[in-house]
Amino acid sequence: MSTQGGRLAVGTVLALFLSVPAAAQTGQPAASPAVPVVTDTAALPGPRQPIFFRHDVHAGKDKIPCLYCHYTVTVSSEPGIPSLETCMGCHRLISGSTPSHQAEIKKVRDAWANRTPPQWVRVHALPGFVHFPHMRHIKVLGTTACATCHGDIASVPQVSQVATLRMGWCITCHVQRKVSRDCTLCHY
Amino acid sequence: MSDGMNRRRFLKILGVTGGGAAAVSACGIGPEPTEKLIPYLVQSDDQVPGIATWYASTCRECPAGCGILVKTREGRAIKIEGNPESPVNRGRLCARGQAALQGLYNPDRVTEPLARNAQGTLEKISWDDAMTRLSGKVRAAGKGLVFLTGAESSSFGDLVDEWTRSLGGRHVVYEPFGYEALREGNRVAFGTDEVPWYDFAGATYIMSFGADFLDTWVSPVGFQQGFAQAHGFDAGRATPMAKMVYVGPRMNVTGMNADEWIAAAPGTEGLLALAMAQVIVDKKLARVPGDVARVRELIEANAPDKVAALIGVTPAAITRYATEFAAGKAPLAVAGGMAAQYPNGAEIVAAVNLLNYVAGAVGNTVKFGADLASGAKYGDVAALKEDMTAGKVAVLLVHGANPAYSLGGGFVQAWTKVGYKVAFTTMLDETASAADLVLPDLHPIEQWNDSRPRAGVYALQQPAMQPVFPDTRAAGDVLLAAAGKPGTFKDYLQARWKELARREARAKSFDDFWNGALQHGGIFGEAPSRAVKLGSDAITLTPQRLRAPAFDGAATNLVCVVYPHGALSDGRGADKPWLQELPDPLSKITWHGWVEVHPDNAETWGLAAGDILQLESPFGTVRAPAWITRTIRPDVLAVPTGQGHLAYGRYARNRSFNAFDLLSGSAGTHGGRSFAVRVAVKRTGEHRFLATTEGTAREHGEEIVKTLGFTEAVALKPGAHPFESPETPDYAEGALEGWAAAQHEMASLGNYAGTHPRWAMAIDLSKCTGCSACVTACYAENNIATVGEDLVLRRREMSWMRIERYFRGGEKGEPVQAVITPMLCQQCGNAPCEPVCPVFAAYHTADGLNGQVYNRCVGTRYCANNCPYKVRYFNWFNFAEEGGDYEAWPAPLDWLLNPDVTVREKGVMEKCTFCVQRIRGAQNTARLEDRAVKDGEIVPACAQGCPSEAIIFGDLNDPASRVHALSENPRGYHVLTGLNTKPAITYLARVVHAGEA
Repeated sequence: MSTQGGRLAVGTVLALFLSVPAAAQTGQPAASPAVPVVTDTAALPGPRQPIFFRHDVHAGKDKIPCLYCHYTVTVSSEPGIPSLETCMGCHRLISGSTPSHQAEIKKVRDAWANRTPPQWVRVHALPGFVHFPHMRHIKVLGTTACATCHGDIASVPQVSQVATLRMGWCITCHVQRKVSRDCTLCHY
Repeated sequence: MSDGMNRRRFLKILGVTGGGAAAVSACGIGPEPTEKLIPYLVQSDDQVPGIATWYASTCRECPAGCGILVKTREGRAIKIEGNPESPVNRGRLCARGQAALQGLYNPDRVTEPLARNAQGTLEKISWDDAMTRLSGKVRAAGKGLVFLTGAESSSFGDLVDEWTRSLGGRHVVYEPFGYEALREGNRVAFGTDEVPWYDFAGATYIMSFGADFLDTWVSPVGFQQGFAQAHGFDAGRATPMAKMVYVGPRMNVTGMNADEWIAAAPGTEGLLALAMAQVIVDKKLARVPGDVARVRELIEANAPDKVAALIGVTPAAITRYATEFAAGKAPLAVAGGMAAQYPNGAEIVAAVNLLNYVAGAVGNTVKFGADLASGAKYGDVAALKEDMTAGKVAVLLVHGANPAYSLGGGFVQAWTKVGYKVAFTTMLDETASAADLVLPDLHPIEQWNDSRPRAGVYALQQPAMQPVFPDTRAAGDVLLAAAGKPGTFKDYLQARWKELARREARAKSFDDFWNGALQHGGIFGEAPSRAVKLGSDAITLTPQRLRAPAFDGAATNLVCVVYPHGALSDGRGADKPWLQELPDPLSKITWHGWVEVHPDNAETWGLAAGDILQLESPFGTVRAPAWITRTIRPDVLAVPTGQGHLAYGRYARNRSFNAFDLLSGSAGTHGGRSFAVRVAVKRTGEHRFLATTEGTAREHGEEIVKTLGFTEAVALKPGAHPFESPETPDYAEGALEGWAAAQHEMASLGNYAGTHPRWAMAIDLSKCTGCSACVTACYAENNIATVGEDLVLRRREMSWMRIERYFRGGEKGEPVQAVITPMLCQQCGNAPCEPVCPVFAAYHTADGLNGQVYNRCVGTRYCANNCPYKVRYFNWFNFAEEGGDYEAWPAPLDWLLNPDVTVREKGVMEKCTFCVQRIRGAQNTARLEDRAVKDGEIVPACAQGCPSEAIIFGDLNDPASRVHALSENPRGYHVLTGLNTKPAITYLARVVHAGEA
């Protein structure tokens, strides 16, 4: 009936798929993760988040599509930050393979148990007088076009702002693609 | 401009050399301070960030029971619109209904239970403590238990009934402006005390005796829709535009919209109705029912020549009204409002009933059978007051009523004799502040209930959001818990709806039935109707009782009528800044009360507008500033209710005077209260400036509002343009040539080439009533700040949409007439505001709007100075500043801000852009669905709210659009067309039935 139930179920299936080691199918030792081990998190660009959520693991190694978590991006101006329930859909089963991963995943589980969602630090912010409709851009550029503005998220351990998000940067693209650059398109 | 240095280049250089770079971050262009993104734990199914969710519910701001849709964003209610499926209001909503949000988010709401302590002040207690006190007191009270509520035709009302009766007490209903006289008048005439249903939409001639049915009477939104269909010039019905005549000593919104206003002496309205009936019977103008013979004597005794002088009209005029009235197929006379609030109100209603009866309107435009008659009478409240004084009331519970405000000193004294007083309330009003126990109730937007405005309509009320204050509880839940009953009020409600589901037997399961009702806002059926005949009591009507009554008070010649304020009503709207700042449709005064004084009196008394008068009745005294107007008879004064609160939050407290103070607290013969009283008038020598938004009362020859006589309008052929005037005066030709060249150059910039829509509007002044629902809709949609009384006095109100009202005639015996027009940005094709902006903040968009880029604006105000329509508004202060002197949205009032619209800062010019956020929203939706925007898909907030559907929006460049067709209507004209501004708004001239038609 409910989409949340649905998401939980799909997440569990996804988790089952991800948690079965490749070794179980091939008989070979498990391949080492394709993502680097980050020892010096302070050197990473971008703000430090309450949980060291790694897009390079989720979107890169595990190839979870951006829209699995940010699923309102095709219909709404807001891409949406996944609810904790979405995280738990997988992390009910997946506890992590290294102590550092396990420590971070424990934070997710504790947050769920304590009913206190993490307070993520916003990376991409626009001033209040700018209205950016995500859905229009995804409609035109496709559901894998997130990287156009957000950079190659699938390969970074921590998200940082790679584009200026200044008006000139917006306009450059609008000029190149010959789309409207009327002020009241975004400012109202 | 064209060579060397243009403005833009000049500013660029200025910016670089003048330290502009340092200012960049200060302008808010740099990154915002660190924000936190807090995800849901479990995301609700029906909440998508960035997309609104709508909940169908029922409006509780008055007893009309309009269906509403509450728009929520990220779990917060941000706007209320009408529910198109409700037969009561068909998708439209008045200003009061829309302002319910400010009751929900009022910063002065009661947030926790309070009890009176030993020192006599209210202090916070826990809910457990509160429940113990409540149950203990009510159990011990027995017969001394009384529950006083407002009109509650709902499951909650039934629960209160059952609950109070099971404890041995009684339930009393108090509605300050009730319908006792209307019910009694109907009982006298037809033997039924129902309030009938009136078919305004089908009427061919409408005569209102005192009833302000467009603003305050019974079901104003629904009546206004019907009236617009009948009185709109080409509203799409087969019969031509109905004529409307208003009878009453002062003009109100209904009077403003009437083709003729008969300023009858107060209390003589019934005589006029009977005199008209006499003419109809005598001249056999209608097929008169046979049983009219029983009241023949009464009718004959009131022939026009016998009563004309008492009323203040000529016998010939009465004959003319009677002839006109009976000529149409579906005449309709309504009596109510002021006419039903005199001591002889019931007789007046009965007389108007007789007029309807002889003219054949009963059963045709006046239908009985749909009302759920209520036996509640003001007399019960007066009796309660006596019981209280006699010490017979041990425990008094109050919900949805504020008797300490509207019943005056007598009630307050009686109140002190009551053993224990409990208030269920959202606000600390006068009554709650004097209670012993205050239980914070949920706002109607937060709680379950239903409403039965008439037979066949079961409107459901559901919470549209979680409670704003977690420590508040639904009164229904509290009552059930206090009685030791299991379950919540929602269970109680559902149990009752299960019965309804069985009776209606529409859906397969109760869940289907319930969910369907939730989704649609209720179960809506046809209004049943039955025939009525003259009742046996009709013969008790005597000519003496219809003569002007002996009003209470000293033998002065001045009768003061106390009438309900359109927005503040009986005072319950006074805590909402939108309603306080909404100009009264007639006086245009905001934030305070006034007394209406005829210019003849003003001259005799040496009064200027704003001079403060002291009015003394036998029951009380008020001090009111004079508003001098020809919309009132010289022997009458009028004051609106609603102000003069001693409590009720920061927006209501200590404003002006309480008009209820002038009134007697006792009930009249018909069981209702009298709202007219003789007064003595004294000049105080004091003065105040009226906080009015009226620029000027007259048009000074400009004819802002065009009117056509009915016969002229009918004679117009398609393609005719009676209001055409030269777009460009000769003297401007030269200047325009240069300007055209510059425009051409600018049009090559950006993407102005190619086809674009031109957004435009058509406003039909034959439908617009000036009710001002659009104004509040605009405030709600566009985050417009309320500025407060001080700034209104300095003419700094921010109302993007205003209703201009001008008076005509009134001198040398001419009839006085009011004309009204909504005034908002005209989105000029050749806009005077645009070329004067040095920073291109005011500019022309490709789709024809006069865009205003707030983040570009530097506040020169040149644009406002150059705007001939005066529709640009400047932020003199930071109205969003927390704790600021002019803070417009103190928490949690800021929760109602629309996230789709920028909150403007100090130093920025702002204006209407036809709700550009709604235009962009519809374009986004259409693009996602790979289609073009359809005509009618974009509805600006003002057009959405308009009860008379006077505003049509669309693309002027689309030849199939409704607005395109209306722009070519022969009645169409532009305001100040000689200025060559080429506005996008076409007004359709008001059409008036001539007096001698």
